[in-house]
Amino acid sequence: MTDDKDVLRDVWFGRIPTCFTLYQDEITEREAEPYYLLLPRISYLTLVTDKVKKHFQKVMRQEDVTEIWFEYEGTPLKWHFPIGLLFDLHASNTALPWNITVHFKNFPEKDLLHCTSKDVIEAHFMACVKEADALKHKSQVINEMQKKDHKQLWMGLQNDKFDQFWAINRKLMEYPPEDSGFRYIPFRIYQVTTERPFIQKLFRPVATNGQLNTLGDLLKEVYPAAITPEDGEKKNQVMVHGIEPMLETPVQWLSEHMSYPDNFLHISIIPQPTD
Amino acid sequence: MLHALVSPGRGWDGRTAANSLSRHEGVGGAGSVAAELCVRRAAYAWGRGSCLCRRCAAPLFLHSPAPHPASALALVDVLLKAVGDTPIMKTKKWSVERTRTIQGLVDFIKKFLKLVASEQLFIYVNQSFAPSPDQEVGTLYECFGSDGKLVLHYCKSQAWG
Repeated sequence: MTDDKDVLRDVWFGRIPTCFTLYQDEITEREAEPYYLLLPRISYLTLVTDKVKKHFQKVMRQEDVTEIWFEYEGTPLKWHFPIGLLFDLHASNTALPWNITVHFKNFPEKDLLHCTSKDVIEAHFMACVKEADALKHKSQVINEMQKKDHKQLWMGLQNDKFDQFWAINRKLMEYPPEDSGFRYIPFRIYQVTTERPFIQKLFRPVATNGQLNTLGDLLKEVYPAAITPEDGEKKNQVMVHGIEPMLETPVQWLSEHMSYPDNFLHISIIPQPTD
Repeated sequence: MLHALVSPGRGWDGRTAANSLSRHEGVGGAGSVAAELCVRRAAYAWGRGSCLCRRCAAPLFLHSPAPHPASALALVDVLLKAVGDTPIMKTKKWSVERTRTIQGLVDFIKKFLKLVASEQLFIYVNQSFAPSPDQEVGTLYECFGSDGKLVLHYCKSQAWG
């Protein structure tokens, strides 16, 4: 059990070394130096980049600064996706640091949601937590909690306080003793190359015969193309938090230990690197 | 080239079809409407369905040769319920494309209720969470639909946080 708790800590404290560079067409009063930062995998871009914003605002005129947004190799980065998911999806097999371009102009309305304050991030985060619990427990656990418990989840995430967060989150990871797991597993599968934003379906952690469903079972059911055929060549990586969990891993275990703070398993399907 | 998806149903005749077509044709032409698909329900089990195109409230009609895969044309049934003193929509049952986003639905409801664009409108699933504006109705239907429909509550103020 100690090992399992270690996984929770490893997931929480994962960091991505990032280099922020101001977009060349932004108007500056003097040269803007790049800004280096270790980004928490489990957080959101707009929650952890106040220092980045301040750094670049120092070399810009007040009137040229509107809403900040981030882009990687031409792709606007959705701030409402967790940072670790964005990195795994777009840049996991490239050299570190992760090079992100900072913009203050021409907000891409079609690609990004606006993030005008921390309240917007909190509302989005809590909505995800509630949606996850709707799947896991028919919302019973989240609804039984008081408002201050909900607030504690958010404050724990915002202030990077593992114990504060998990004091409440552990309740969302429980299930009735007579069951072998949650009602359904909250998961989303992402791929850069597809039209649809992500795959999310109902999937039970336990099969009708009582066996625990695995990651492989999940993929077979909702995205069979991601699985390498028996004697075929491995074309994809199935990645969570920067690693490829074994396909034999029970999804119930993955859900309890490798979900993001929003209680979702965000899974990236990316091309197998060729080197 | 414009296609009629199904044979005429109740209250739908050739003249209505022609009028609908011309309404859509006049607005930027079929090509510009490619981004906004309107599809006619075959069964018409819900009675008179209406176009969710942002330009009009014409009866549903496939009016563009948009290169969407077949699955994107699929519809899900949505039941819209008002919360609090939010105006009630006269038509509550809608057939919505799977790929329509919550934001798209919000824009439509606002137009239908003649709300100002700057007014806020919140949508809730299962009276418990507000989905992200870019979430697809099809995904929500698959995960939270019941009895063949997705029930969504809408409100001008925050109802369930």
